[in-house]
Amino acid sequence: MKTIWLASYPRSGNTWFRMLIANLFAGDGQPVNINELRDPRAIASAREPFEYLSLIDSGVLTHDEIDCLRPRIYEALACGAESGHGEDSDSAVRRSVHFVKLHDAYTLTPEGEPLLAGARGAEGAIFIVRDPRDIAQSLAKHRATTVDDAIAFMNDPQAAFSWQTGEQRAQFRQKLPTWSGHVSSWLNQRDVPIHLVRYEDLAADTAGRLKSALAFAGLAATDEAITRAVRFADFARLRQQEQENGFRETEHPWRPQIFFRRGEVGGWRDELTAEQVARIETDHEAMMRRLGYKLTTPRAPPRDRARGTAE
Amino acid sequence: MHSYYMAGLSISSEIALPGLLAQGDDGGPSEISIRRDKVDSALNSKRIVGPTWQMSGDQFLLRIPNVARFLVTGGSTVAFETENDTPVEDVAIFLVGTVLGILLHQRGHIALHASAVQVDGKAVLFCGRSRAGKSTMAAALSQRGYPLVTDNLCVVATAAGTPMALPDGGRLRLWAQAIESLDLGTRRSAPVRTHIEKYYVEPPSAACEALPLGAIYVLRETRPPLREGIDQPHATSTPLLLLRHIHLPLLIRKMNREAAHFKAAIEISNAVGIFYLTRNFEFVGMPAVISSLERHWREMGLAERAT
Repeated sequence: MKTIWLASYPRSGNTWFRMLIANLFAGDGQPVNINELRDPRAIASAREPFEYLSLIDSGVLTHDEIDCLRPRIYEALACGAESGHGEDSDSAVRRSVHFVKLHDAYTLTPEGEPLLAGARGAEGAIFIVRDPRDIAQSLAKHRATTVDDAIAFMNDPQAAFSWQTGEQRAQFRQKLPTWSGHVSSWLNQRDVPIHLVRYEDLAADTAGRLKSALAFAGLAATDEAITRAVRFADFARLRQQEQENGFRETEHPWRPQIFFRRGEVGGWRDELTAEQVARIETDHEAMMRRLGYKLTTPRAPPRDRARGTAE
Repeated sequence: MHSYYMAGLSISSEIALPGLLAQGDDGGPSEISIRRDKVDSALNSKRIVGPTWQMSGDQFLLRIPNVARFLVTGGSTVAFETENDTPVEDVAIFLVGTVLGILLHQRGHIALHASAVQVDGKAVLFCGRSRAGKSTMAAALSQRGYPLVTDNLCVVATAAGTPMALPDGGRLRLWAQAIESLDLGTRRSAPVRTHIEKYYVEPPSAACEALPLGAIYVLRETRPPLREGIDQPHATSTPLLLLRHIHLPLLIRKMNREAAHFKAAIEISNAVGIFYLTRNFEFVGMPAVISSLERHWREMGLAERAT
């Protein structure tokens, strides 16, 4: 069994991609229930495998101390250690490839080693990116903040999920040191091979992009299974399941909150103000250009821009 | 030297262990001794190795990087050596948590990852994974007048036929947010570690005697498809459910203790009701959760006083 990271900045299509993979093996001709993807190992920042294998209550460790130990846990899991809470139901997937979701940037621990254990933690990473202008509104809803706050979060080098210290969050701290910083941390690392998927390309040609990602991961799937997965994990269907039964992976499932929101490409055009668009494009110009996201606001002369693009 | 009593065991320790019930030193030998000493970074004989630990025969070495190394031997002695000048106050919480947990496995005890309170002369246990709200439930109930039996780790003795919960006689460990939300600020004492906003909290009252089990609740969060309330799992599944809530469950297999645990899980399942308690994690809902628990206890005939 090999481990493949399924990495992305938050609100970039990671969960949709997991739903696509889960539906490749939908056994009974029905879409997989979005609340039955219960593999506790399926997110790298979960506490359970860490505590099961390390024997340590993560609640009495600081965020930095946890980070120092996380590589040990990923190494053990990649070598086949059990995570302690029973294995998940879609064992067909597990037998050959184990996909592990994460939002962490590719960072080093305080001791200077890769948080994700480098090549010992996984054999590769599927890295999903999305137009930051589409992320902003979605992130604002997700964090229950204003869009302006979300834009500021996406440009804050200290930003993180689950950073709190006066309470215990379900997940470990996940560093998100700006949208550009997050993406470049993954694209620039040389520890694990990376397969880049743009959300926009996945939306335009879901079957084709899924097929090439699976080929990268070394997971065999027939064209028929891929077509069916695309149909079963169609965004409207996921949203309908959430409307009918809720989604267990929302942060506060007992509060009104929508996880599968619009999923559209280019929704920012009618959701963001011109000023908000300009801020995002200024903050992330170099990385947006690198990824081929077309800027809309007038820019400085090309000579000045060149510095930013030469990454 | 400090003397403590936990789960029926006497402990002598070179450093203070604020989580445990202190007792006067009667001069007799303790069952468990904890001392500062040199601890090598590896065991030298045949080893089973985990991410933070090594095991060989009756020796178990645990290393928490930059904090301390602990050598637990034969279910009776613990030696520890701090790393990077970590103050001993920062080590105590690991001694009363993981290290005593390892030692209890070595001694052949059955310990659940649970907190418990006393209800009408019996112990009501709350099991759950990390962050499930074990300490919070025990804190809220102790504030309501139910004495604390134990927090986080509950040793269950099955030898006498009736499963008994053994108290740790100690203190709650609560996050700053829980202390504030449950209005326990006046009972708060030291933080469990220098840089952790989790504190020891003195319960209004604590049980000191072993108590027969009254009920066990496995705590879950209301996430779809789970709904709020108290449910009874199918009787055939309860032994496995209990096994999932053994303290340090990895050691069941690593120490070849499957048979003893399975036997205990069946005995406990036969002797006491095991339920799911599904609740959301917002403190505002706590009074309603306590009301539904008290109603449940009355229905079971458990609690004359649960009114």
